[in-house]
Amino acid sequence: MPAHWTEETALKGRGHRSLGRRWRRVSARSVIGRGPSRDGTGAVIGRWDPAAAARNPRKVSASCMGRRRRRVDRGAAVGALPEAIAALSRTLPAGPSPEIFRRAKFDRPEAAPALWQLLFRVLSPLSANGASAPAAQEAQVRVVKSELHSQGYPRRALAQLPEDGSQGSRELLLALAWLLARGPLLERLLAQTRVRLGDEIPLCECEALARPGPPVPRVEADGPVDIRHLQWLMGKLRFQWRKLITSQQEQCALLGKIHSYTRGCHSDRSLGHLSVAETELLRDAEGGQQLLRSLESENVRLEAALHWRRQELVFWLWMDTVLGTCPPEASQPTFVPRIPERGAGEWELVARELQALREELRGAAEPRRAAWEARVGGWGPEWSAVQRASREAVGLELAALQRAWERGGAAAQPHGPCRLVKSDAGASGGPGLRAAQVIEVLRSREACLEAVLCQLQRQCRQELARLVGALPGLIWILPPGR
Amino acid sequence: MLPADCSRRLVAELRDALDACAERQRQLERSLRVSRRLLRTWEPAETPAPQPTPASETSGEAPSPESTPSPQDLKELELLTQALEKAVRVRKGISKTGERHKALSLKSGSAATSATTASAPSRASGQASCRVSETKPPRGIQQTVVPARGLPECRLLSVGDRTRMGRGSRATKPGPGPRDQQIPPSAALQAPEAFTLKEKGADVDCWLPQPLWKPCSGLEGGSPQSAASLSTGFPDRILLRLPMAYRKAASRNSRLWAQLSSTQTSDSVDAAATAKTQFLQKMQMTSGGPGSGLSAAAVEAEVGLLRTACSLLRRRMEEVLSADPADCMQEYRCLLTLEGLQAITEQCLHRLQELRAAVVGQQLGPWPVGRRPGASLPCGGGTDPIWSPQLLLYSSTQELQTLEALRLRVAMLDQQIHLEKVLMAELLPLVGTQRPHWLALCRAVHSLLCEGGERFLTVLRDEPAD
Repeated sequence: MPAHWTEETALKGRGHRSLGRRWRRVSARSVIGRGPSRDGTGAVIGRWDPAAAARNPRKVSASCMGRRRRRVDRGAAVGALPEAIAALSRTLPAGPSPEIFRRAKFDRPEAAPALWQLLFRVLSPLSANGASAPAAQEAQVRVVKSELHSQGYPRRALAQLPEDGSQGSRELLLALAWLLARGPLLERLLAQTRVRLGDEIPLCECEALARPGPPVPRVEADGPVDIRHLQWLMGKLRFQWRKLITSQQEQCALLGKIHSYTRGCHSDRSLGHLSVAETELLRDAEGGQQLLRSLESENVRLEAALHWRRQELVFWLWMDTVLGTCPPEASQPTFVPRIPERGAGEWELVARELQALREELRGAAEPRRAAWEARVGGWGPEWSAVQRASREAVGLELAALQRAWERGGAAAQPHGPCRLVKSDAGASGGPGLRAAQVIEVLRSREACLEAVLCQLQRQCRQELARLVGALPGLIWILPPGR
Repeated sequence: MLPADCSRRLVAELRDALDACAERQRQLERSLRVSRRLLRTWEPAETPAPQPTPASETSGEAPSPESTPSPQDLKELELLTQALEKAVRVRKGISKTGERHKALSLKSGSAATSATTASAPSRASGQASCRVSETKPPRGIQQTVVPARGLPECRLLSVGDRTRMGRGSRATKPGPGPRDQQIPPSAALQAPEAFTLKEKGADVDCWLPQPLWKPCSGLEGGSPQSAASLSTGFPDRILLRLPMAYRKAASRNSRLWAQLSSTQTSDSVDAAATAKTQFLQKMQMTSGGPGSGLSAAAVEAEVGLLRTACSLLRRRMEEVLSADPADCMQEYRCLLTLEGLQAITEQCLHRLQELRAAVVGQQLGPWPVGRRPGASLPCGGGTDPIWSPQLLLYSSTQELQTLEALRLRVAMLDQQIHLEKVLMAELLPLVGTQRPHWLALCRAVHSLLCEGGERFLTVLRDEPAD
């Protein structure tokens, strides 16, 4: 019997065993009675028989799976697979049971809806998870398909699955494994839904950008608009920012007060005071219970993730077999090329900027090179050694500069949300960033950005002057400058 | 009027910007509501509390007639609480909230000592506590709610003698007000909401259902013990401890996150990594087609990187151009740097062309919706998932306000720069061509692009005099 078949039997058996007393009676019936159990764990499993399985499909409830922590005989590699899958599904939001996974390998249609939903939860933006009502099946299918496609999922069979979500469980299983293999999917999901215990302030905007707000149903402006509409929108934007800044100042003042009032209440000495969430926990019993519950469920998920990490090799071996059961694809792609304007516009902007930069650099470097050549023309050999040294030094600098954006430069900048802690000014040497440092960094960044903005505006002024200056008979009176 | 496609794009961009701002505002409003609600119990602006009887423990707000006490006062109040706590325990022999719940840092222990010893000798209970507090092991700065049952025997400290507190009202707060059942005539326990001493004696581990508590801020770490005398005011704030269940869950949570984020290499982890790469390769091979390896998301990410690259290169160029070379060497280095930057820019442009060809030629389909292009991210832009947050220490509210204001200003400038570029790209070509109402358009474009929409220029027609 091929090795993977025993794994499937173990998966099936896992479903029964973990359901507890209620199912033990049933599992006795499930023994087909063809022979002793294969996996040596003593589970009540018979030889897997596709016909028999089709005759009595058993529904395994995911919630039971989640709560069971039945220990499988660790020595048996076969038993490790259902356990690994169970850990995986505990970590994932809306994780289906190992039984679903097993059925997906054989492309059973009943496994498809659960997997569509799982992929939808994994791929859709965070805000959609809790806020909106669960989307219709077709909408889920569409979102999953487009998201996988944009991330570069190689198999085309997925795009051809029907939109009613009734088929394709094996393809979905492969897609899930592909997502898991490419990057730290579980950790990312967990970080997105992390329970925030402290008052956090994001130091860089990457989280805000990566997590777009709920999609606002917007009526697109058809047809031409007056430029005054644009002016009005700009003014509204300016006003909103002002309002935002004042609200933020108020929030800071309130936070400062809460932090000082609760000084001394926290068990963690490095923190020293409570955050808003913790204060509310003390003040409001039900809210506090809720926080505690979400914290505990996150702990369960974290433990499952660690468990999964220890045991995932078995899963990957099994996925190889799943891939093996698929027929190879040979079809031609049938996509319609479509570059929507938004993306193209972004590309255009960057291209234009780079071209402008190149021109400026050329304009700056060429005269200097000419002047230099004129000066240096007759200098001696010792100069060439110096030249070489300079070249190397400059080369190193530029390489470092290039690394700064290629690798993202994440190490250089403080990244991610920080928990606010009020402490005395004298406290130094402890862990954590100091607000003064961050303020300096922000000031320099602000100065940079202001310079960029001024330069852009200057450029516009020049360009406009050039465009309108040709017309005689008009006097342009500029507004009083700042 | 602007042409239709141009209008659509511009309006979409501006509305994106407005939505982003509105989203921030929404989140901020949520936090503000929570914070305001929490602070209302500390600082209601109205009448003093009604008598807090045991029946009313579970209901009603705990008022605090005065405003924020100074940290000094709060520290002293907290010390006083400890003293009274201990007294109650000693009297009643309540061991449940004994040492295992009581924790004092060494400093506060000494503060309590000095404070209580410096106080009037009439404070017998204080001294009892002082002796005990010396022996307490420092175990953090948790205080517990003091059970109040044994209060009648407790010698309550007088309130009137210390005038150090700036809060006159508190200093003169009449004693008997709230302490209905337990005030011996000799002293008045000042705390109007002095549920401090009348809390349930039972489990201190559980939640405090009633909102009458007020946390106390005490133990200003390094502050000198110059105020080593108990102040007048009694605690209208007590120190609270977070429930045990929560603390356990929170510590377990941070421990698990640390474990999860630690990248240990072990055999199993390496084997799993190899298995994953093999799986991906197999999948690529069986997917029937060469595959470019480039997905729309990857292309977008690269374009973003190139945008960052452009701004970094430009910044470097401006540095070089503005620096005055002092000697030949530096001049040469400037020259080399400029030429190097030029070469890198060429490479970036080349890469951009490649990406464009990939998108068009390999039919990568639509760009993913819902991602905001625009701001150039100094960091990698979501490369790593964000583990447990690190700490950011601030020392005063002004500092925090400055920090937040700067952060918002940087975000606003980012957005403005992006909008500026978009507007430039769309509007300048329009000015170049003659259109109806061209003058008005010019004026509007000038204000939008050059003044951020805040100021307008004036156009005068210079008619030749006839």
